[in-house]
Amino acid sequence: MAASSESTSATTVLYVVVVVVAVLVATVLAPVVYSATTGSGDSEDPSVAVLTLRGGTSGANVAAISEDLRQARNNDSIEAVVMRVDSPGGGVTSSEEFYLAMNRTAAEMPVVTYVEGYAASGGYFGIAPSDAIYVKPSSLVGSVGVVATLPSALESQNAQVRSTLRTGPDKQLQTVDSVREELELLQNSFVGTVMKHRGDNLTLSRTEVSNAATYRGTEAVQNGFADEIGTLESAIQHAATEADGIEGDSYGVYYKEPPSVTASIILARNDVESTNGSIVYVDQSEEDTGTDFVPPVRYYAVYGIPESAVENQEVVTNETG
Amino acid sequence: MKPAEIARPLGVFVIVIAVVLAGSAVLGAVAGGGGGGPTDGQNVQGQSPEQFQPESVNPDVDPETGDISVDADDGTKEVLIDTQHGNAFDRSDIEPVVEALAEAGHTVDFVPSGTSDRGFGSSTSYNATLQEYDALLVINPTEGFTEAERAGLQTYTDNDGRVVVLGEPTQTGVSGGGLIASVSTVSFGANDLTTQYGARMGAEALFNLDDSANDNGFKSIYAAPESTSSLSEGVDTVTFENAGYVARTGDSDATVLYTAADGTKTLETRRNGTYATVVRNDNVVFVSDSDFVDQDEVYDADNEVFVSNLLDFLTSGDKPDDVPETATDDGFGDGNGFGGGGDEDTPTPPATSTPADS
Repeated sequence: MAASSESTSATTVLYVVVVVVAVLVATVLAPVVYSATTGSGDSEDPSVAVLTLRGGTSGANVAAISEDLRQARNNDSIEAVVMRVDSPGGGVTSSEEFYLAMNRTAAEMPVVTYVEGYAASGGYFGIAPSDAIYVKPSSLVGSVGVVATLPSALESQNAQVRSTLRTGPDKQLQTVDSVREELELLQNSFVGTVMKHRGDNLTLSRTEVSNAATYRGTEAVQNGFADEIGTLESAIQHAATEADGIEGDSYGVYYKEPPSVTASIILARNDVESTNGSIVYVDQSEEDTGTDFVPPVRYYAVYGIPESAVENQEVVTNETG
Repeated sequence: MKPAEIARPLGVFVIVIAVVLAGSAVLGAVAGGGGGGPTDGQNVQGQSPEQFQPESVNPDVDPETGDISVDADDGTKEVLIDTQHGNAFDRSDIEPVVEALAEAGHTVDFVPSGTSDRGFGSSTSYNATLQEYDALLVINPTEGFTEAERAGLQTYTDNDGRVVVLGEPTQTGVSGGGLIASVSTVSFGANDLTTQYGARMGAEALFNLDDSANDNGFKSIYAAPESTSSLSEGVDTVTFENAGYVARTGDSDATVLYTAADGTKTLETRRNGTYATVVRNDNVVFVSDSDFVDQDEVYDADNEVFVSNLLDFLTSGDKPDDVPETATDDGFGDGNGFGGGGDEDTPTPPATSTPADS
């Protein structure tokens, strides 16, 4: 009896040890199995991701939308992207970033754009690589041009330069000529991008595009700035039809919310924000830029006029009659 | 140990592992693409697109080379640069032009020598001023010439006095800043004078979007000689910034010397056409731009050659010293040599109207 009970307790200990060891081994192997199943993707419903950019193509907004696009590319269940956009553009550099992120995504999967309000200037720069652009009659696209903030900034900068000692004649000096050369350089990359991606659709020549006119949705469909009149749903359906991994109607739609939570922080950092379609230039002069110097000339791919230009103005002419 | 004593714990071992791993697999499948996937940074396509390459993007820049050279083959001359008609230019901007004239031995005055409190109220005083000079350069006048002044200039040019008028189309500028910006509209003021010679400033500015037809900016148009003349010698292309065009009057004797490049249009109404930018009527040359003599632009394209030709034109006249006549000898159409009347003192309003709310 004593021997039997001894044997039973030994067996129990053995099982406990076996179970513990098994759990430990399984724990080690579990992540491998987990990632193998998640990585396959085939077990998921294929989806169309709807990403949203509302507001200027500021550095912060573009960084957020670029991250959304990166996630869409890296998620194997996402087979196509719909970009819902309402943007009057912004800084040239961040608008180029927007374009590059969209271009990279469009190289991997169908990207269809729905123009909710504006896709003007830098906003249009970004959506140029789209497989299709959907608009409604009131949508506004175009404005393929670049502006530079010139007036007082340049004058005060050049005055400032005269009160400093410099190592070379071009150091910290910008002339109207040099600004115009830079404008043309930036414009070349902008127009070149629009012509590369939309050239086959456009009824306008490169020179006509350079006029930088804006077009309402119905005009844009006729001149090739956009492809179809439609809604967000039209764009989603188009994207699903184009996607290799989607057959028929069996696909999911994943709405990525715009970064509204941090909106106030982002807007505070914006160069340009959109308020009811007009552009508000936010003065960054008091922001800590990490240096006591600021660029004298800023280049924008933007639709709108500086807020200062719509304030009180006095009109003077030399008319004497 | 019996086989069963090994098999059972082994079975439990396998089952526990199987259950845990199966659970992980189910969890992974349910959780979806929260993790894993290919690493970012692979298979990058199109991130150095062809339209971003330097050869597609970098603009051609016109070299700013050459010199302004004026000859003194016809002797040294006295040139007056007009400052009496609201001329909108900075003297510092045209220093290269003044320097070139001075180097050739010519004399340049901004304010007429001997100017006293007589001013220009009468044709007598203006004629007296003109008598002293062989040539008159009028840059961007925003105020008109009085009838008496125009009459004096007619006699002046009829007798080989040389006149060059550089104009600007109506332009709107914003000045100031801060809370109140000032929008100003400035129009060419001397249409009454130039009409006397069969030309007037066109109603609009010009632009050309074609990069091969402008100098880094759609409002910096190129123009080329229309015909061979002393003013086109050695010039292939000149560039005019914010230029207008010259409209010739119905019965004009003026000859078109330069026209804007093909594809140039009017800025407001986008009318395509052949636009004259330099015309000559005997001893008067009228250019629909005034910026090309500025230091910033005088060396762009072949501007320096054109300016040299223009200065040669100014200094190659042969006006007698007593022209135009002064005082009681004055016998012009208005029959009033002494002037000073209210009408004659009033600058003629420019013909263009501006919808300015005030």
